[in-house]
Amino acid sequence: MKFIHIADVHLGVHPDAGTAYTEKRPKEIWDTFERIIGICQKEQTDLLLIAGDLFHRQPLLRELKEVNYLFSALTHTKVVLIAGNHDYIRRDSYYPTFPWSENVRPLFGSKIECVEFEELRTAVYGLSYHSREITEPLYNTATPEGRQRYELLLAHGGDEKHIPVDWERLDCLGYSYVAFGHIHKPQAVRRNRILYAGAPEPTDRNDTGPHGYVKGEITEKGVHVRWFPCASREYIHAEIPVDEDDTAGSVKKKISEYINEHGNENIYKITLQGVRNREVCFDMMRTDTDGNVLEILDETRPAYDFERLYRENAGNIIGRYIERFEGCGRDSETYQALCEGVDALMKNRR
Amino acid sequence: MIITEIYIKNFGMLSDRHIRFTDDVQIIYGENESGKSTLHAFIRAMLFGMERGRGKAAAKDDFTRYEPWENPEKYAGVLWFSCGGKRFRLERNFSRYMKRASLICEDDGEELSVEDGDLEMLLGDMTASLYDSTVSVGQLAAAPGQELSRALENYAANFCEAGGGDIDVNGALRILRERRKEAERALKKERGAREEKRQKLLRECSYLEKDMSALSAEFNEKKAALESMGRTENPGSREEREFVGRTGVYAAGGLTGMFIGVTGFVWAQFLNGWKMPGPGGALLFFSVIVFLTGILLTGAAGYAYLEKKHAQERTEKEHDVRWQKREGQSGEASDIRRVRWEIGRIQAEWKEKEIRCGNLREHCAEIESEAGDAEKELAGRCRALQIAEEQMRLAADSLGKQTAGNLNEQASQIFAAVTEGKYQRLDIGEKLQISVWDGIRRIPAERLSRGTLEQIYFSVRMAAADILQEEPMPVILDDTFAFYDEKRLKSALKWLRGQKRQVIILSCNKREEEILKQF
Repeated sequence: MKFIHIADVHLGVHPDAGTAYTEKRPKEIWDTFERIIGICQKEQTDLLLIAGDLFHRQPLLRELKEVNYLFSALTHTKVVLIAGNHDYIRRDSYYPTFPWSENVRPLFGSKIECVEFEELRTAVYGLSYHSREITEPLYNTATPEGRQRYELLLAHGGDEKHIPVDWERLDCLGYSYVAFGHIHKPQAVRRNRILYAGAPEPTDRNDTGPHGYVKGEITEKGVHVRWFPCASREYIHAEIPVDEDDTAGSVKKKISEYINEHGNENIYKITLQGVRNREVCFDMMRTDTDGNVLEILDETRPAYDFERLYRENAGNIIGRYIERFEGCGRDSETYQALCEGVDALMKNRR
Repeated sequence: MIITEIYIKNFGMLSDRHIRFTDDVQIIYGENESGKSTLHAFIRAMLFGMERGRGKAAAKDDFTRYEPWENPEKYAGVLWFSCGGKRFRLERNFSRYMKRASLICEDDGEELSVEDGDLEMLLGDMTASLYDSTVSVGQLAAAPGQELSRALENYAANFCEAGGGDIDVNGALRILRERRKEAERALKKERGAREEKRQKLLRECSYLEKDMSALSAEFNEKKAALESMGRTENPGSREEREFVGRTGVYAAGGLTGMFIGVTGFVWAQFLNGWKMPGPGGALLFFSVIVFLTGILLTGAAGYAYLEKKHAQERTEKEHDVRWQKREGQSGEASDIRRVRWEIGRIQAEWKEKEIRCGNLREHCAEIESEAGDAEKELAGRCRALQIAEEQMRLAADSLGKQTAGNLNEQASQIFAAVTEGKYQRLDIGEKLQISVWDGIRRIPAERLSRGTLEQIYFSVRMAAADILQEEPMPVILDDTFAFYDEKRLKSALKWLRGQKRQVIILSCNKREEEILKQF
């Protein structure tokens, strides 16, 4: 039995993607989803598992029609889907009343339900969100009923406010495979058994790293899964080291080199770190020439040796000022205040 | 600490020059441009090193000013001094490529490290900035357009708040305030952009709501139309038609019967006229019966007709309408279907818009509650700058009060000595304004002469040197006494001699030397 496991597609989302890509992002996310359906068709995948948050918000009827049309074009693949915390089922949702294509088998109940596929000797269990948050650990006790040879759980959440999970217990319930959604970063909670497929496309500026889907096969020998990347872009949070010899120009060059190296199609958030020369001011330079830099944060600190400064200025205002900040952490606002204040005092030495 | 000797290899206009010093008050006389200030700068550079500035600042800094035109690699010198009973040799090379400093104790040959702060230890934590604001005394200098008394007060205030006169605390506060204003502007802009995004969504929401209310008006209209159609839907009664048909049959039968009866009667009379009894009598009888039956039938038909007509009059209007309706019955059914379909379409459209609206509102709420990274950083920066300002004020305040308190006592004594008791007290007040007390009146600084202001300046500096320095440093006075009269110069020099300090007076005037000879 071959399956593809996706989650958190977030159709309809408009993520901030820099001036160059923000406009086309929603379409790119649809395109990638379509591409995955295309893979199902081409490879004659038996089961497409969609582990919640197919839509970013309540799906519109025309969007459901669009999705259903894509599903209906699948000649072999059966689709099982659940609603997640983003597209949770409300009283006015279209989900429960929508006339799905016959190969689509939604699990829209608020309690664990099951769909069976005799020909695949497979049963898929799952439930859907009927509210934005669910704090009961519903999966911990969702024991499979032994209806078929292979039993799968289609699940969404796993954090405190979205069906907290005791992974140890879940692992022991006896599912062949648990397809999780909700966390956008792909990860295996238990190898070949419990996986977050991750979002196929990053949907938020903080969804860094590669994104894709899980392809798996269940045979008598067991379960084997592999993760495949499919996102058209990546969000990259780059930390550019800065030292005392850097100038605004050299930092600009560093940034553009970094971007060239890591791909111009990707979207960047740049953080300047380290120490800067006291005379140089980066001033949140806007170097976004290609439109793929979301922002540049300057976390550099002027190159002061506060201990030495304190020693040298024990009796004067600089020493007194430094004294007032004793013991403040290096990444706190207070530390920033210390740097700014000393910088202002040093600039006013006569 | 006593400076015993210096050797200037190459420094500004001076080169290959040896100068020895005593541990008492001494005068180095020189005409203008003879290199007195260069000597002064050399001693400072030897004691504290000389940092090369960066960028624009480098063009005017000491390094550039004193860098020799010829043999720049010999931009160097040696300074011998004694400290804590030991003699030391400090060598420095200032040149760009051979920058170096060495410190050797000449008594035991121990090599010390300038880099590791051994020299600072020997200087008793005297820093260049403290040196500049205390023992290294020039003339009181005012900024262009500034009253000298203001300059003096600024010096004192700054000295007290900064704990040494070389840092402009107000300037630092100004920088912090400017930076905060700038960060706040940027933050406002960033917030504005977010709000604008939110407003755009809200506008879209309100368009949708407008569409929705139009749709619900249309819905009500269609619903009403559908209801009015529904009331007339039951079909007209069949009995009526049947009834009309039966009346016709009766009437026709009755009339036929009457006709046959009349014909039979006429025929019977004809036969009777021919005097044929038998069949004529029976025929007459039979035709009379037929005739009578005909009359009955006709009467019944007439009655029924009248009855019908009567009823018809009552319901004529209604009846007409019904007939018309009945004719267009198949058209009416498709109308209802169409209206029903319309209602369904309106409902679907309305719901689609409602969900879209709900989604937009959700998005709005998210935008409202989630500030971007840049915004967070700016907000943090604003807070940090606020903290910096507050802490700097607090530091300056506490330091100012403390220093002013100590300074007042010391400076008053020196000032009284220099003015030979004309003024008994020198006061640096709460707000760090300066006044003097002559035993009768309190005189604010702005009413004093240049000479007296210079003497206050001197007194404050000397007092500060005493307060701030552990190791007594040599006092270097560079043309400090130009505005002093004979009397006060004498008492100032007298006071200096009474101190256990090395004093080096740089002067373009022979007065000092002559007075000193008198002691």
